[in-house]
Parts: sequence; structure tokens; C-alpha cells
Amino acid sequence: MRFPAFARSADERVVAGVCAGIAEALAVDVTLVRLVFALLALAGGAGILLYLALWAHASSERRTLTALLVIGAGALLLHAVGLSTRSVAGIALVAVGFAVAWRSGGSFRRDAPLSYGGLALAAGGAVLLLQGGEPTGAVLAPGAIAGALLLVAGPWLWRLALERDAERAARIRSEERSEMAARVHDSVLQTLALIQRHAQEPRRVASLARRQERELRGWLYEEQPLDDDEASLFAALSTAAADVEELHGVRVELAHAGDGPVDAPARALVLAAREAMTNAAKFAGVEEIDVYLEATDDGISVFVRDRGAGFDRAAVPADRRGLAESIEQRLARAGGRATITSAPGQGTEVELTLARSSA
Amino acid sequence: MKRRVVLVDDHTLFLAGVRAELGDAVEIVGEAGSVAEAVPLIKEVDPDVVLLDVHLPDGSGDAVINAVADDRPGVRFLALSVSDAAEDVIAVIRAGARGYVTKTISGEDLAAAIERVASGDAVFSPRLAGFVLDAFRAGDRIGPDEALDELTPREREVLQLIARGYMYKEIAARLHLSVKTIESHVSSVLRKLQLSTRHELTRWATQHRLV
Repeated sequence: MRFPAFARSADERVVAGVCAGIAEALAVDVTLVRLVFALLALAGGAGILLYLALWAHASSERRTLTALLVIGAGALLLHAVGLSTRSVAGIALVAVGFAVAWRSGGSFRRDAPLSYGGLALAAGGAVLLLQGGEPTGAVLAPGAIAGALLLVAGPWLWRLALERDAERAARIRSEERSEMAARVHDSVLQTLALIQRHAQEPRRVASLARRQERELRGWLYEEQPLDDDEASLFAALSTAAADVEELHGVRVELAHAGDGPVDAPARALVLAAREAMTNAAKFAGVEEIDVYLEATDDGISVFVRDRGAGFDRAAVPADRRGLAESIEQRLARAGGRATITSAPGQGTEVELTLARSSA
Repeated sequence: MKRRVVLVDDHTLFLAGVRAELGDAVEIVGEAGSVAEAVPLIKEVDPDVVLLDVHLPDGSGDAVINAVADDRPGVRFLALSVSDAAEDVIAVIRAGARGYVTKTISGEDLAAAIERVASGDAVFSPRLAGFVLDAFRAGDRIGPDEALDELTPREREVLQLIARGYMYKEIAARLHLSVKTIESHVSSVLRKLQLSTRHELTRWATQHRLV
């Protein structure tokens, strides 16, 4: 809540324009404000002090003077309604003490120092109140003490809470950092060391870097555990692709739509895909192989494609035919189907499909 | 005439690599390493194509597109990223990029992709094609505009071939269509990707406060 902006009125002034200013700020009749001040003035002169306080506030922003005048006005008012001098002095002391304490830093900022002088003043006031021994003092005392405790302990508790939060955040950060460090150490640093050792073998360096990239990417974006090829079909295929890249120095471009769990037939599919990739890497004479996994409700398909030499199925050497057949047989045993499309100079595509119901 | 290209990427090593690989294929008219640098640069030099990294130090690639699109509607954007995160890719595409390629692309393929984007066509990497097929999977349509929320069987076929690693002219030969037709299918998919209200797409876009 914001205090309404208040400025002395120059037009409507009788003494200093304070009443008119208040009426303007609060949008009430100026006569009403004057009446209130007149009544307060009757209460031991409190209204006069309050008037002076607001005047001081409006003309020069002198906060200390304003605060002192307000406290004085309050004291006069309390005295006027029947409190003893002793009680009024106690309350005034408490008020001054808190004003000092809050002003000099008992705020909600963490680094602000507590004002012991202010707190001592407030405590003195509370003691004065307690020892008053008169009815009004006795009624006021418990409230004053509770308020005093709250005001003194509040900022301190608040600060404690802030510090505890900051500590917890720092601890979480440091745990995250050490987990990150462990991951980086286990994977990236090892790979960098390997790369340095094999700096003379560009193909090996490329495949190491590529494998590392795939792993890191899986961890960062897909939240797959490193080297956990049982997590999903795509993860298993990624691992197979990375192995082929590493062994044969090719690049495998992997795309997928959908994903699925790795059950027994799916594992056979991944192995067949791996063989198809190995075939392409060994015989096609290309640097890049495209692999696409499509998993829908109906089934799973994997396409392994290269733009390499291609071959005529009728005229391939026996060893190569054997590889092709092993892909087909493996899929057939798992309840799926492998289709190999190739022609000399046209590249090769192996399509592996598995109906979902067979799982 | 050579295409005028601006490179926006904060990795200087990568920039140097792209510059070397593209060679004389295009004219590189400017380079920027952040959103704050890129926006005034693109407005000033008005290039044909901006090669735009998805992640920049002071924001994501779609911030550049959003800041430039109104003033320079003729500039085309090709997103370039190491990230596989679908939401990043979909966000730049929905902001208006005409394609997405991964940073492992060869110089030759990159030059071809720039040319394709400059002439108003779309460029999908196999990976992006996979994402799109996934996001537009049959059955879970929720948007009110059916035409925008579904791929036609032909578009699906073309995207699947892209995902399998086929190039446009290979797809055209396989489907007995012209390359122009393939290009128009891909452009139509791009439009759906940018305008569709499909749940997956709007979810990704909302995460990036695009809608």
C-alpha cells in the first residue's frame, strides 16, 4: 500500500497549508481535516505537534525531526487519554527505539546490521512499562512486549530463513556441478585423452568425436543415461550406430519418428540394423549412411540406406549374400521382414519391419 | 548471381569452418555472434539468406527472426543447430525459418540448402522430417483446422523418404514426380508446421513463448 502523495497546499492555506494538503491527498473536505486537528490539539496539544511534524515532512523531508515530532504527538495524545507519565515515557522510548533500529538497518536485507542502540532503547521502554504497576500499564505491557519481541526477532528470523535458502541453493548447485563433473570426466575427458593419443589417425579421431557427441547429446537433450542401450529402441539404435561409426569410420545420420521399448523382437531388429549398417560401411564405399526408425502403433520399421556401389542380388559374391541372408533370417525368426533394395550404382536400402502385435 | 548470406553463430571455430567450406559458393556479407549483433546487421545488409544458430548467448534463434521479420520480409532463414531437441527446432521453424539442418552437414549440401531456401523452398534434414512425422502422427489431432493439422498421404510419403535419407531428385524419381512437385509438397508441410495448432507443436511453441 502506498501512502497518498502529500504536499502542502499553497492556495487553501490558513497556517501552512498542511490541512488543505491532507484533504487534497485524501480527497476529503478540508474542514473535516481541520476539525480532527483541532480535536487533537485539545488532547494535550498532540494535534499541534502532529501538524508541525507534517509541516516538517512536507517542507524539508527531515525524517528525524518528523519522527520525533510524531512520537511527541503520540505521547501527548496518550497522556491526554489518561495514561500516566511513566507509561507514556515507556511507550515513547519503545517507539523511538524501534524507529532507530529499523532506520539504521533492521530491514529485510540480509547484510544490514542490527542496531543495538535502538533495541536497547526499546528494551528500556519495555522495562519502564512493566514496572509501572498501574492498570493501564499492566494492560499495555503484554502487548508491548509481544510487539517488541516480534519487531526485534522478526528481521533476525527472516534473515536466518534467507540464509538457509541461500545455503540450500548453493548445496544443490554444488551437487549438480559435481554430477556434471563426474559425467564429463567419465566421458568427455576420456575421449579427449584418446583423441590426443590418436591424433595421427584422422578417421579414428573423427569417430571418437562423433561417438562422444552422440553420447553427450543423448544425455543433454534426450535424458538418456550414457551407454544405456536398453532404455529405448532409439537409444539402442544410436549405440549400434555409434559402434559402426567407430569400427568403420563412417558417419551414420540417424533420424526417428516415435520410439518404443526394447523387447526381444526389437532387439533382433536392432541387431539386424547393425548388420545392415556394417554391410553398408564395408561394401558401399561411402562416408555416410542414413538410418531412419519409425515406430507407430502398428509396427516398427528401420531403414538403412547408403548411396554407394549397390549390387545385383543375383550376382553377388557368396560372402556378401550370406550377410544379406543373415539379416533376413534374423528378422524372420523375430516375426518380422527384411527387404533389401539395391542395384549397381544405385546404392542400397535395407528395410526392416516388425509388426507391433508380434511383440 | 551468388546468394548474399549472413552467418549468425557464436562459435568462431564453427564460423571459420562454414566460411571455408562454403568457399565461393555464396557471398558472405556479414557475421554476428549474438541476437543483439545479428538484428541490426541483418536489417542493414538485407541478405538473401541468414544461416542462424538455434542457440545464441543472449537468446534463441527465433528472437532474431521475430525482430527482423517485419522490417525485412524478404530475408530467409535457415536454422543450423547441433541440438536435437525437438522444441528448439520446432520453435525456430514456427518463428519463420524455412529449414533446419544439422551442423554436421557437408559444405556442398549446405550450399545446396542455402540455394533452395533462397529460392523460396523449404529444407528439411532427415531428423526434422522424423520430428514432423512424429508430431503429425495420425490419430491425435485436436486443432479445429483439419487441413492444417493433418499431412496428406503424399506429404507423409515425401517426408518419410527425406527421413530415410533421400534427396529431392531421388524422391522425385522414386515417386515418378517432378522435383518441383516434391518441393511444393515440402513447402506445404513447412506451412502446416508453422500454422498448425496441433497439440505437440503448440506445446513446443508455448514453451518458447511463441504463441
